[in-house]
Parts: sequence; structure tokens; C-alpha cells
Amino acid sequence: MPSNIVRVETTPKLGEGMRDVRGDSVKRQLAADHNIKIESVRSIVGFLIDSEISAEQISSRVDDVFADPIIEESTTDSLHLENQDLFPEPADIVVTIGFKAGVTDNPGKAALDGFLTLFPDAGEGSRISTYITYVFHGVPNDVEVEWLSKQLHNGLIERALFSKSGEDYPRIEYVPVTPIDYSPPSTIDLEVSDDELMRLSEEGLLALNLEEMQTIQAHYRDPKIRQDRAEVGLPENAPTDVELECLAQTWSEHCKHKIFAAHINHIDKETGEESQIDSLFKTHIMKPTLEMKDEVDWLLSVFHDNSGVIAWDDEWSMCMKAETHNSPSALDPYGGAMTGIVGVNRDILGTGLGARPIANTDVFCFGPPDWEGDLPDNLFHPSRVLRGVHAGVRVGGNESGIPTVNGAIVFDDRYIGKPLVYCGTIGIMPRKLADGRESHEKNPQPGDRVYMVGGRVGYDGIHGATFSSLELTEESPSSAVQIGDPITQKKMVDMILEARDAGLITCITDNGAGGLSSSIGEMAEYTNGCKIDLGKVPLKQEGLSSWEILVSESQERMTVAVRESDVAAFEKLANLHEVEATWVADFTNTGQFHVVHGEKTVASLPIEFLHDGVPQLQLESEWIKPTLTPFTPPSNVQHSDLLLRMLSRPNIASKETWVRQYDHEVIAQTAVKPFVGVARDGPGDAGLLAPIHGSTKGLVVSNGISPRYSDIDAGAMAAAAVDEAVRNAVCTGVDLSKVAGLDNFCWPDPIESKKTPDGKFKLAQLVRANRELERICRAYFVPCISGKDSMKNDYGSGENKISIPPTLLFSLFGDHPDVRYTTTSDLKPGESLYLVGESKQELGASEISFMMKEAGEAEGIGGEVPQLPNPEKNLASYKALTKTIQSGLVRTAHDCSEGGVAVAIAEMCIGGRCGAAIDIDGPGEADIWGRLWGESLGRIIVGVKQENRLEFLSQMKGHSLTYMGEVTDGNTLSIWDGDDLIIESNVEDMVSAWKGSLDMTGGDQ
Amino acid sequence: MVDTPKVAVLFGFGINCDRETAAVFDLAGATSERVHVNHFVNGERDLSEFHILAVPGGFSFGDHLGSGRLLGNRMRFAMREQLTAFVSAGKPIIGICNGFQVLVKTGLLPGKEVPDFEQRASLTLNNSGRYEDRWVTLEFDPESPCIWTKGITRIECPVRHGEGRFVMPSTTDLDELQANHQIATRYVDPSTEPGQGITDETLPFPICPNGSIRNIAGICDPTGLVFGLMPHPEAAYATFLHPHHTRSDVNEEILGEGMQIFRNAVEYAQANL
Repeated sequence: MPSNIVRVETTPKLGEGMRDVRGDSVKRQLAADHNIKIESVRSIVGFLIDSEISAEQISSRVDDVFADPIIEESTTDSLHLENQDLFPEPADIVVTIGFKAGVTDNPGKAALDGFLTLFPDAGEGSRISTYITYVFHGVPNDVEVEWLSKQLHNGLIERALFSKSGEDYPRIEYVPVTPIDYSPPSTIDLEVSDDELMRLSEEGLLALNLEEMQTIQAHYRDPKIRQDRAEVGLPENAPTDVELECLAQTWSEHCKHKIFAAHINHIDKETGEESQIDSLFKTHIMKPTLEMKDEVDWLLSVFHDNSGVIAWDDEWSMCMKAETHNSPSALDPYGGAMTGIVGVNRDILGTGLGARPIANTDVFCFGPPDWEGDLPDNLFHPSRVLRGVHAGVRVGGNESGIPTVNGAIVFDDRYIGKPLVYCGTIGIMPRKLADGRESHEKNPQPGDRVYMVGGRVGYDGIHGATFSSLELTEESPSSAVQIGDPITQKKMVDMILEARDAGLITCITDNGAGGLSSSIGEMAEYTNGCKIDLGKVPLKQEGLSSWEILVSESQERMTVAVRESDVAAFEKLANLHEVEATWVADFTNTGQFHVVHGEKTVASLPIEFLHDGVPQLQLESEWIKPTLTPFTPPSNVQHSDLLLRMLSRPNIASKETWVRQYDHEVIAQTAVKPFVGVARDGPGDAGLLAPIHGSTKGLVVSNGISPRYSDIDAGAMAAAAVDEAVRNAVCTGVDLSKVAGLDNFCWPDPIESKKTPDGKFKLAQLVRANRELERICRAYFVPCISGKDSMKNDYGSGENKISIPPTLLFSLFGDHPDVRYTTTSDLKPGESLYLVGESKQELGASEISFMMKEAGEAEGIGGEVPQLPNPEKNLASYKALTKTIQSGLVRTAHDCSEGGVAVAIAEMCIGGRCGAAIDIDGPGEADIWGRLWGESLGRIIVGVKQENRLEFLSQMKGHSLTYMGEVTDGNTLSIWDGDDLIIESNVEDMVSAWKGSLDMTGGDQ
Repeated sequence: MVDTPKVAVLFGFGINCDRETAAVFDLAGATSERVHVNHFVNGERDLSEFHILAVPGGFSFGDHLGSGRLLGNRMRFAMREQLTAFVSAGKPIIGICNGFQVLVKTGLLPGKEVPDFEQRASLTLNNSGRYEDRWVTLEFDPESPCIWTKGITRIECPVRHGEGRFVMPSTTDLDELQANHQIATRYVDPSTEPGQGITDETLPFPICPNGSIRNIAGICDPTGLVFGLMPHPEAAYATFLHPHHTRSDVNEEILGEGMQIFRNAVEYAQANL
């Protein structure tokens, strides 16, 4: 073992065109977020190299690996801060941040790789740990060093050392890690009282309820089971800890979706209905999709795989998956979000025989970034959550080479308790492999070898699945947090796709929640059995016990099955790509999930019991219509003022600063980008891709989310989400005959208990959301091919409990005949403007109602929430509109959502940097407020050039279409109600209102 | 004379623009192959099989020790002979974004007539401190020896980087580069007349997206065969990838202005190799 530790530090050179950008960024951010003006911040990056190479040897090669001699100063075995030439003035404050032991240190890994290129004989077990030091000069007196250090690091995963003026500068070292001795599996006695069973579940973070614990207890009383166990040398009448942990993972809410599978007694106090629902999932999601599957030939694989697959054309199929990573993102926004995005990428890689991720979507729900109220203990300020989550998703997506093509950021106070981080990925795969197998089907056989590919297993990520099935508390475990490693994963993706094309893979899945116990356990259903040897599993650190190895969710791992005859070729590929691939298990047909650790059997569970043994929950649901103070707008309001205020609302304002930091164009396929228009800063509605280079055939990606409607009716919330996603896709000219959806539910705990006295109501909200989801999806013919639910989005308990608004994200992907024939939201010169759909008096839970209530200008947000009484009619006009787009008649379209017609037309003027004159008068009974600010569904504003007007009108005949006005030459938006001018606004004023509020950069330089 | 030049497009270790880079060479009339770096390192393949080498964009090794540095090291130490032979055979090399960073850190750019693998310049963090994806306008030095940029006045394409600010140790180094017409392409203000945009004064953000000295976007070696640039011309290979493509009637022509750079190299190889 190496024991010679050498320190190397680098810092940017200054002067003649050189600067310390990292330090400057910290300075700007402190100014932007906290209004603290600091004279200068400088940065030093440090490396602690533990190897057999001497300081002299390292010093002679330091500029070959650690420092860039053109732009950096380096030093070996000393602190830069002690060099008076570089740091002539003593620092006011110095903060040094390093990782805690066991936390993924990506720069350290990369440095080690580079180091070993130069010093191949550095010694087995060489390691490099990195740190960063910030050096502050000119710090205001009231800034506390402890506070400053907290802003710069997250104590859960990082450690910080600091010094104040006059003190010795901090010198960070390796933390000695006490080696942990392997402890053999223990036996858990389940022949105990019910109270004791629950104590076992709670203290062990198993997240199993009493009935589930009793089911497990009963399993071990079965004489046949006892006999089987005796034969393999296991304790006959009690589980090992390995078995109990494995069951807890597999039966977790996260993995088994027990609430969606529950039997529900639903009572509707509004209508008097009482009904029984045997699984919301089977009733409202699976059944409609399977019925639609019978009608079309393009639904290749639904529900059972890691993502749903559709046939895109004869050669290629597409798949999509979206997931949430809420709890980890609350604890460590950066690491939690990064593992969210790279995790969902692996779901795509694990679909069929392996699909290639080609696009990401990110939808976040946060507390208001300018929140000034109290924050519960252990929660970060929303602005910090935003920065961290954004950075995690940015690094995860960009470094993986996957463009982020569509998304949203939604703000509401209640997301302070639990941010929602939805990450979605689309994948592509050839319909058939060279050997003739269809790539969307897995086909493992008993005898196939099972490899664990990618990263190693460590303490990080133990209990993620069960933890996410519990509410967040101050004692939430730090082992549930991990940092992703996109480069390890990228190497693995490259390797696996080559292995797939060479026909070497018979089955593949990712290691996410539940680790090997879930991944191998699920795949073992295909052959009806497996045998895992935990002793073969490569570990990050020695000493992990058997159950920890089995359930650890350490990242960047896939589980791949390979025929014995292909083993050599598979291992050769892994070697080429420098990817670790280890044979850890075999598929069998014994009916058993059999786990050994070396020679000793540590678990044996019948596959059937493992997967189907969990008892169905019995739940109560009761709908009582909420009574809310109605939104009554005041009279004497200047709508022009309201427009600028609305444009700067975080829910409406431009997210450009954030979204521009995502690579949205890698792969050279993004035909409609997140930014459109003259200055390339107008809002894009849906993403449009041309994934095959040289071809114009397209794929549309869009999202719909409208959580605040749940305040009035979660059913309307669900309908609005589906309609918004479809409407956005319609704006690109999607082919509505081939569109598939994904439902991602994030709910507060809907099970009535002491902690959740309103559980029945929350469950009734879930019932209503599912019913509307089914109704609209059937009407629009959008099968839900994959989905996910996260059901414990609460913080704390009692009076201080914060529950998120019930939230459904509806994501959609669909076919597009030719990406050249599409629209964007920016107005073009000389266009006439039309409204597709109808404005109704629907202002309940609208953005304007929340804005005026928060400002004390209105009493409440209640009233009519947008509804979709006749979706068939909407679909007909959507279909007609997509035809006009596909024939090139229409080049401008934008959907009306938050802020209604007024905000939509303003955004279109911003994109076109032009004016428009429109009249909001039209059919229906809505008043000015409803027509300007109401958020009625089914509406799209369309711009048509003069020469195309007649043809457009003739094709739209019979559909709800109202002429609104014209694009004008000037730069003023004027909105009329008949003869009354009600809004007049200059485009530059609208631009600054819209772009200012979420900028948060503290300036460009 | 070669009819269909063969192009090696490097991949592996976090390179991620390999597929589109390979595709644009195919569309330009070449035959491309994505080849894992280690195939060249371990000797299973040799650069001499190919006529053109492309080092695509991406995040090789996560850019953790400075962009392009670790991949640059692998090439500098393990592919030195192959690269020297490739360059002395008069074969073109392009590095795009991370590939440009790699070529600068191997010392192939700005380089010498005969490669000495000495690093002379660097690409460092954008002045904004942020990674950004945005479209820029580029102009080209008409007197540059660069074979990749012949006959091109101005194109638009995206930048997608956090470390694109070109720096050299001294002003005289830059003067020399400029005098040799090795500053093949620069960021320009789109409101200027085509051909009139190039200026030495650093343009404001976001016209010059990273604060690069003299608005440098890309440079070539003294022979003009090795070319590197931060922006992504391959991402402008099609008309429908331009952010303004919906602002006019549908353009039936599919291939976009980014193609010319790749066509130039293919034509050069056809005429000279």
C-alpha cells in the first residue's frame, strides 16, 4: 500500500490577459445571492497524491499532468498561500473544501488516470484526493467565516477548514479511514410481537408496514420453505439480514408502487358516489394503453421494461423514460440531481438490449428563489437548491453528450419542503440487430453469465429506495446521497452500445434503486432463477457486509447478461474501453433468488415470493370539494402594468440564464431549440429533433405541468398537464397519430395516519387525477407507455408539515414527418394572428390570481379552474392545425398557458422583437380578465402570412378559430377589447421585465 | 489520388460529438469511421490507414484537470510517432471544441512545421465563468494557409463550451500568429458587412462568447493542415438546425453552411493525397 503523500497545488496566473475566473464567479455569486461585496476572491486547486512516487519525481512532471504551464502556477509539497510572490497580502478569510471520506471525487479520479499515464508504476492502491481553496481579500466586517464556509460547501458530503485574518492557513489532509471488518450475515428473529416487528422495520429503515412484516413472518413459518432452507444451510425459521434487506428493497414503495397497486375504497362526498378501485395503475393507466395497443402497430413495448418503446420507422425505434430524484436533491441538490439525470440515462441504456440516449428533458419544481420567509431546519434556501440542482443536471447532461432539449421550472412555496427534480431521457435503437433479434426484447437463458459493468460498490447509496419511501426528516441518512460520475458512465455507454451491435447482450438492466438485489432479481424473472456470488463483486472499500453489497445503489453500474460463448469478446470490449466488467452471477431456472458470499449461502428466496409476495394495500379515499375564497379582481387596474409584473413572475419569466448552460445541440439534431426568434431568446414550446443525420424525419418532445390547479381539483390539474404537453407538440406540427406519453406523479403521502390526518383527501386527489388522465389520454389517443410515482413528498410533521401540491408531469414524444415544416413562437413580419380554441371565464388557481393574492390585491385564488369538457373537439382542431403546419402554411404558433393570451402574445412579440395589435373580443361569455389572463386549455395563437391566409382559413374551417389582429411594424404591443385599448406595452420593456427576474448571474463578467 | 478519403473520428473517454462529426464527413463525400483512442494507442489500428483525422468535441476525462488535457497527454505520449508521421504526410487534422483543446494541449496547435509537442497556448475558462450554448458569427482570414477554411467568408454556428478563451503567454506570440495568418477564424459582430467583421479589439459578450483575446475562435498550424476551433460547424450541417430556419419559407435545401469546412478537407485530400 502506498503511503507517501505528496501535495500539489495550482492557481491561475494573473495579469496580461489572465484572470482567476473561478474566484471571480464566487465573488459575483455572493453579490447576486446575498448582496455581499468582496474585493477579491482567488482560487487554488489542490491534489493529495498517495503513491510510491517521490515529491521530486512528481515535481519534475507537475506541468505534464496537474498544472497547465501557460495559465497556472504550480507548487509541490507546499501551500501556494505561503508564497509571498503569489499572495503578497495576507488573506482576510481562507476556506478550503475537500470531500468527506468515501464521497465520489471525480477530479481526483481523472487526476489519478492522468497520473498513472505518466507513472505506471505508482503502486497498487495509489489514490488522489482533490480540494479547493478560496482566498478572500477585502471581506466586509459583518461576514462570519462560518457562514461563508457554509455557503461554499455542503456538510453532508464535504468538509471545510478555514482561517481568519492572522490565523495559520488551513492545510487539509486525508482523513484516516478506520478499516471496517466484514461482519457475517446475522439472523433476524421474526417470532416477536407486532410492536417489535414495526420497531425492526423502523429502526432498520426498511419502510415495511405491519402487514408486510407479518407476510414475511408467515413465509418463514411455511414447513416447505423451512425444509428448502435447511438444504442450502440457511437458518430454517428466520430470515438472514440479507434476505430481509432484499425484501425491503424489492417491496419498497419506490420499486413496487404499492399505492398505485392498492385496493381503494373511494367516496365522493360531492356526488355521493362510492366505488372500489382495484389498482389505479391497472385501471386507469395500463388498461387504456393496452386497449390502444390493440389498435396500432407501433407500440412495441409498454410497462414491463425500463422504458416504453415505440416503432419510429421501419429501421429505428424510440423509447422514453422520466424519473424523479426528489429526496436526494433536497439533501444534496448537486449530487442528487446529477444522479437523477445519469440514472434515467441508464434506464434508456437498460431498455431492450440497450438503447442510446439522445435527448434529456428536465422539469424542476422549487420554492421561490427570492424567498424571505422562515426555512425549516435541514432545508436549503430555494435559490441554493436551484443552483445546485441546475449544476448537477448541467454537468450530468453536458458531460454525457446528451442534449437537454425541453423542460420547465415551476415555483411554489410548498416546494421548499421537497423540491421536485424530474429528469427524462429519450433513446433510440435499431429495430433489429445484425443477428436478426429484435432489440426491444430481452432474451436471457439459464446458464447466461451476469456481469456487473461500470462502477464499483460502496457505502454510498445504501438505502436509497427505502429512504425515498419515507418522508424527509432532520435525521435523513447521508449514505442516501451520492455524486454521479458522468465519464465513467459515458465510457460504459460507449462500450455497451458496441457490445449490443456485436450481438453480445442477451439481457440488460440498470442498477438503480435496490442495487443488485433489484437488477438481477428483476432479470431473474425471465429465466426463473439466479445465483449471485457477492464475493465476486468489486468493492470501493473492503468490509461491506453481504446485505450492503446486495442493496447498495452505488452509481454508474449496469447488469448485463452474456452467453458463455460471447464472454471473451465481451471482456475484450470492456478492456478496450477501460470499463470494469465483472462476472458476478448466473441465470438459472431453479425458481430461487439464490445468493452466496464465497462458499456460504447468505440468502435464498423464491422468485415468486420476492416479486409477487407483497400484500395489496387497502386504502380509503374521500373527496370533499375544497372551499376556497374566490379570486375577485379589483377594478381600476392598469392591465399594462399587470403585464410587466406577470412577465417577471418566476413561473413565467425567461429561464435563459439557466437553460443556456445546458448543451441543447450536441448530436447536431435539434431543429427547434429552447430559444427561438430574432435574438434567439424567445420561448420554444416543444423540442423537435432530426435524430438521423442527413434525414429530415423528426421526433417531438414536450412536457405539461400545472400543479397549482390541484388547489381546486387535482383532476383538472392532470387534464391540464396532458393538454399542455399535447398542445406544445401540436405547435411543432407533430403527427398526432403517433404520440406516446409518460405519467410521472409526485404526491404528498396519501395514506391516512397519525402523521397524515388528511390522507383520505390526498388519495381522493390521486383518484381524480388518474380518472382525468385516462379520459384525456383516451380522447387524444396518447397511450401512457411508461411512468413513475413518488408518493412521500412531505417534510416534517404536525403543524410544521409541508406537503407539496399534488403534481403530475406529463411528458410526451411523438413522430414528425419533416422537421423543416414546423413553427416557432416568434412573430414574423406581416403575419395575421388567430386564436385556435376559446377563452372561458377560468381564472381559478391562475398565475394572475396567485400574483394578486400575494400582493394583497385579491382575497383568494378560488373560482373555475380550466377544464376540458370536450377533448374530442380540441383534438379535431389540433389535427387540422398540424396539417397546416406540415404543409408549410404556418410558421408561427405558441400555446397559451400561464398568464393566458396576454402573456402568450407578449412572448411572441419578444421572440419577434416586434409589435402586434390584437383584439381579444371573441365568442363565449368570458370577461376581460378571463380573455386576457385566464388559462383556458386548448388554445394556441397562430401567425399566418398574408399569402397563406385563404388556404389556412379553408383548412381550419369548422374548428374554433378567431381572428385576433396583425403583427405591426413598430415595437408596441397593443391589446384591444373592441374599441377599448386595454394594454399598450413596448417590446423592450417587455424584454427586460421577462428576462430580468431569474437572471441571478450577478453580471456577465 | 484518393476518390473517397478515409476519415478517422476519435471516440472514447468522454468524447461525445463523434457521431455527428463522422456523419458530416460522410455527407461531404468521405468515408468516416469512429475509432476508439485505445485502438491507436495499443497498436491494433494505425493512423496511416486514414487520410483525415478528426478530434471531436466532448468532455474527455471530464475536463477535470483542464479541458482536453488528459486526452492530450494520451496522444502526446502514446501516439506521438503516428501523429508525427500523419502530419509529415501532409494529411489534414481538425479539432473541434474539446478536440481543439486537445490539439492545443498536445502542442499540435499553434504548432511548428514539424510537430515538437510543446504546448504554446491554452484555452481557459470563459470570462463569464459559465458553460453556454449559443450561436455565434464567425469570419475567416482570407489569407490564412488553413486548407479547411478556404473560400469561406462568414458562417453562423453554435459554441458550447465553458473553457474557450484562447490565451498565449505574451502579446508577441499573438502578433506572430496573426502575421502568419494562423488566426484562421474569429468571432465577429453579425451586424457588420460580411468580410468586414474581423477586429483585434475584444468584442463584448455575447458576440465574443468567452472573452477570447482578439476574438480568436480557431487557429491553424503553419502548414494550414491542422485546424482547431471552439465553435461547432458540424452542428450547422443542416439548414434546419439554424435557429432562424422558421423565420422564412421552408428551405428545400438540406445541407447548411457548416458543411463547407468539411468539404474543403475532403476536396484537399482528393486533390493531394
